[in-house]
Amino acid sequence: MNDKFKEIFGQIRAEEELKNRTRLFLAGKTRGYARAGTEKRRRPVYAAYAAACLLSVLLGGRWLYFAPIAEISIDINPSIELRVNRFDQVISVDGLNGDGQALAQGLDVKYRTYTAAIEKILHHDRIAALLSNDEVMAITVSGSDELRSVRILSEVEACTAEHRNTYYYVAPPEDAAAAHELGLSCGKYRAFLELRRLDPDITPEAVGEMTMREIWELAGRLSPDGGNGLPPYGSQENGHHGHHGRGGNANKRRRRMPSPALARYSSSSAEDSGGFPPIFISCHFSLVMRSCRGLDPSKGPTYPRSSSWSTSRAARE
Amino acid sequence: MRSEQETVKAIERYADTVRRLCVIHLKNDADTEDIFQTVFLKYVLSSVSFENDEHEKAWFIRVTINACKDLLRSFFRGHTVSLDEVPEQPAELPPDYRDVWDAVFSLPQNYRDVVYLHYFEDYTAPQISRILGKNVNTVYTLLTRSKRMLREKLGGEYDYE
Repeated sequence: MNDKFKEIFGQIRAEEELKNRTRLFLAGKTRGYARAGTEKRRRPVYAAYAAACLLSVLLGGRWLYFAPIAEISIDINPSIELRVNRFDQVISVDGLNGDGQALAQGLDVKYRTYTAAIEKILHHDRIAALLSNDEVMAITVSGSDELRSVRILSEVEACTAEHRNTYYYVAPPEDAAAAHELGLSCGKYRAFLELRRLDPDITPEAVGEMTMREIWELAGRLSPDGGNGLPPYGSQENGHHGHHGRGGNANKRRRRMPSPALARYSSSSAEDSGGFPPIFISCHFSLVMRSCRGLDPSKGPTYPRSSSWSTSRAARE
Repeated sequence: MRSEQETVKAIERYADTVRRLCVIHLKNDADTEDIFQTVFLKYVLSSVSFENDEHEKAWFIRVTINACKDLLRSFFRGHTVSLDEVPEQPAELPPDYRDVWDAVFSLPQNYRDVVYLHYFEDYTAPQISRILGKNVNTVYTLLTRSKRMLREKLGGEYDYE
């Protein structure tokens, strides 16, 4: 019998065409593996940056180092936010709710690269326990430099590739500001907007103290279709959620699926969402990469670049 | 980020494994290709250093299964695609294997994972438990139930040990 199992599974092979398309896909995504080939050559550039930074600090220009250019918010419950400077180093860690503050105090990730910080956070006892308990984690990157945000998100995703139930988003800086006004992280803010569309009585304070899984489940319960058609918070227009995709596939999926959430969001307005603009959320960094970098122009962006980033009127998921 | 040479080598080495896991979990070529490319992109971007080939293979298996499950868990996917559909049999599959194919692919998803890893990849239950992040006893239970279900579907003449 074992032979039969081996025979039937052995019949399944990756076609050469699929491998070739994957090689092309990877070459496109990595710009011909440019970064790997230039790793050594880039070191002097980093050194120059470091020297320039040091000089600026010596001249009293500490702002260069301590100016945050991106924020990475990690929501499970706890919710914490890492501020990252232009040298990819974490310059501050903030807890955005009770659990998050307790966690932030126990973390020693300042002045590490954000990838090292994320890995350390994922290995923190409390976080590891939550993730092994099948909790949902949302990671949102926001910053004024969209390409940098996308790059950060891709690096973060690589760090967390082995974890299930992890969802990645990019948010524009104005949404980060709106989130902070309410005392929420970007991920929770998005969840709050989504939940408020379903239940106008929901408060930011309530959302701030809920776990992402609880938010997910509440959104499911409140959803008119009984929770099967509604993600815990917004999704990309075609519902392509939580994994990479070729433009062709995304298009196929968009055609195949009725995308009820898109219809809802497409017709939503600032008034619909209670005065708050619907926020833009990138479903997945690969879609953003394709859209922003034009790596796959023949397939077309999933949404127009100008509207995807520069406006918060475009909603996602 | 890994080099092109490293990546091409990994594709040659693990493409079939990733493809099989995709077929076990997914029911259409578009999703399969998405996950296939996703897994190798994660490999390219990953900075994990592997102790040996077995470690690397286990990483591919774990990442592929997780990526497939994440896709299947997505609300839109679950809303529109039947999860119970048996994948199309390869044309070159001998006729007397067709009932086995149907039996294996009509098993629930968790069972298919362990059947594949145990019978095809020759992993032991403790190894499977580490790869899937499940309790060893759970893996033993899944294997035992799989054998019973296969016996019921295919009759008692097969040896499943």
